[in-house]
Amino acid sequence: MAESGTEAGSGRIQLRPTAEQVYREYSPRVYHLARRMLGNTADAEDVTQDVLLQVVRKLDTFRGESALPTWLHRITVNAALGHRRKKAVREEKQVRDPLESFLDDGHHRGPIGRWSVRPEQEALDHETHELIETAISQLPEIYRDVYVLADVENLPNADIADMLGLSLPAVKSRLHRARLLMRDALAPHFEEVSAT
Amino acid sequence: MTCRELVELLIDYVSGDMPADGRDRVTRHLSDCPPCVAYLETYQHIIRLTRKLPSPQLPAELAARLRRALADVQATPPRSESPGDGPSRNSAWA
Repeated sequence: MAESGTEAGSGRIQLRPTAEQVYREYSPRVYHLARRMLGNTADAEDVTQDVLLQVVRKLDTFRGESALPTWLHRITVNAALGHRRKKAVREEKQVRDPLESFLDDGHHRGPIGRWSVRPEQEALDHETHELIETAISQLPEIYRDVYVLADVENLPNADIADMLGLSLPAVKSRLHRARLLMRDALAPHFEEVSAT
Repeated sequence: MTCRELVELLIDYVSGDMPADGRDRVTRHLSDCPPCVAYLETYQHIIRLTRKLPSPQLPAELAARLRRALADVQATPPRSESPGDGPSRNSAWA
């Protein structure tokens, strides 16, 4: 059950989550955000524990439950980036420019097929889910971080820029490149087989 | 407008963050370019599909580990350090 707390200066009573609620409601989301950013379950587990304990130790300083999610996002991103820095793993991936798939005259290099997958369906089937997770894990880090925060977590670009220390144009540019890379990676799996 | 130029503008086109004259140029190109129509459709598909990714329950071993860590921290007196910037509003987890 949530405990009541007073928001500083406002005199309004707001609900403050308990440690049990933070664990139950947010630890899966912290874990999956860290896993998608780091591409590694063992590292994501360490980050999840670190974030959970940081938050629980400071629960009594929260002004109200509505502020907790953004704070959790920020702590998780910082913890994941810090973990990555600590491991000092230099990514050797060559970053392909998805806009290379155009001819010099600006036309598409090859045919563009429609996809058989229907995003309108209520839930992803297991195979589609796995294909998307794999494609995310194969994005270069500079694109993956922005893509996960924007298109998985649905955060505003301005918040992402703030969390990652990037300009807004840099966030948009990386997000666009990430979407093009995701599209190119998934097209072979999802394109309809043309009747010839 | 070439197909490449259109693709470079898709992020603003799909978010609605594009002036009317730019949208008109994109729409004109799309009306005469089936490959770009298919490209736009697949670009939108990948956004919608990604937003449907679930965040399922924790692996059982991690859940048990977190439970133990939580019990330990609750059994010790609170410390005074701050874990980061103060909380603010506006989040997809809200």
